[in-house]
Amino acid sequence: MKRSFFTIAALFILATVFAFTLPTAWKIAEKYSISFSTSGVSGIFKTFTGNIIFDEQSLATSKFDITIDINSINTGNGMQNKHAKGEEWFNALKYPAIKFTSKKIIKTGVGYNAIGDLQLRGITKETSLPFQFKRNSNGGIFEGAFNVNRNDFKIGTPGGEVGETIKINVSVPVKK
Amino acid sequence: MFKQSLLLGAISGILAGIASVIYQKVYSGTLGADFAALAKPLNIVITCFVSGLIIATGYWLSNKWFKTKGEIIFNLVFAILSFASILPAFAFKLPLDIEMPELFPGLVVPMHFFPALAWFTLKPLFIKTYEPYNKVFA
Repeated sequence: MKRSFFTIAALFILATVFAFTLPTAWKIAEKYSISFSTSGVSGIFKTFTGNIIFDEQSLATSKFDITIDINSINTGNGMQNKHAKGEEWFNALKYPAIKFTSKKIIKTGVGYNAIGDLQLRGITKETSLPFQFKRNSNGGIFEGAFNVNRNDFKIGTPGGEVGETIKINVSVPVKK
Repeated sequence: MFKQSLLLGAISGILAGIASVIYQKVYSGTLGADFAALAKPLNIVITCFVSGLIIATGYWLSNKWFKTKGEIIFNLVFAILSFASILPAFAFKLPLDIEMPELFPGLVVPMHFFPALAWFTLKPLFIKTYEPYNKVFA
């Protein structure tokens, strides 16, 4: 009787400690924004999904696994949208999503860096995405800005009217 | 002549505006694409009205400058300008919070032809121009 009591107590303490050390799994809240801009074109991706596990105190176990729906692209112009989804650019029929899976997250001077695999148009490249995380009463908000060279992923043809370096701005409110 | 064409321009402009607003209601009701925030009904009517006055002035000037050929030249220029005016509708960049920008040209392109349609429909009621026609076939 005494032995089983100690076993249960030990398990309870272990479970409690483990629960506190697990990084937080965040749910993506509404009003997120993933925008892109370059010379000649700008727009947003309206839909993205993913698993966000992040804790400032436990970066080793934090992880991002994000998928952006290419078909949700909106440049504000119907012809441009169709063109962007076409074979020459994102080829949404063959590659319907942009994926990012982090391999490690490190602390930087101004925030964090998520280093992982960015998959775009079937090409995977290790990419570092700088971001900041601000907690608030409801949860928090992830914000980041970074550049992607479209030639690295064979998006469009080099040169032309559309700039080669695409600036991406991400703002994702999250809740527990 | 100028008064008649101005009156025709004003009335055909208002009618084109009313037709455009009705078309907008039908379009958004049928396809679920609501661009009312961008193309407000009052703005549509005012734009059509002003277009009607510009058309009337153009008609008067064309007849003044080109005399007997003024009518033909005006009709040709009016038709070409109506067609040309649809191009910006395809290139127009909507605010990013507006859904389905693909359907925007489908709304505004027909509207660009409503002033011409109203003008040519009402013109015989205001301006009698069958004299040369009578001369040819009399």
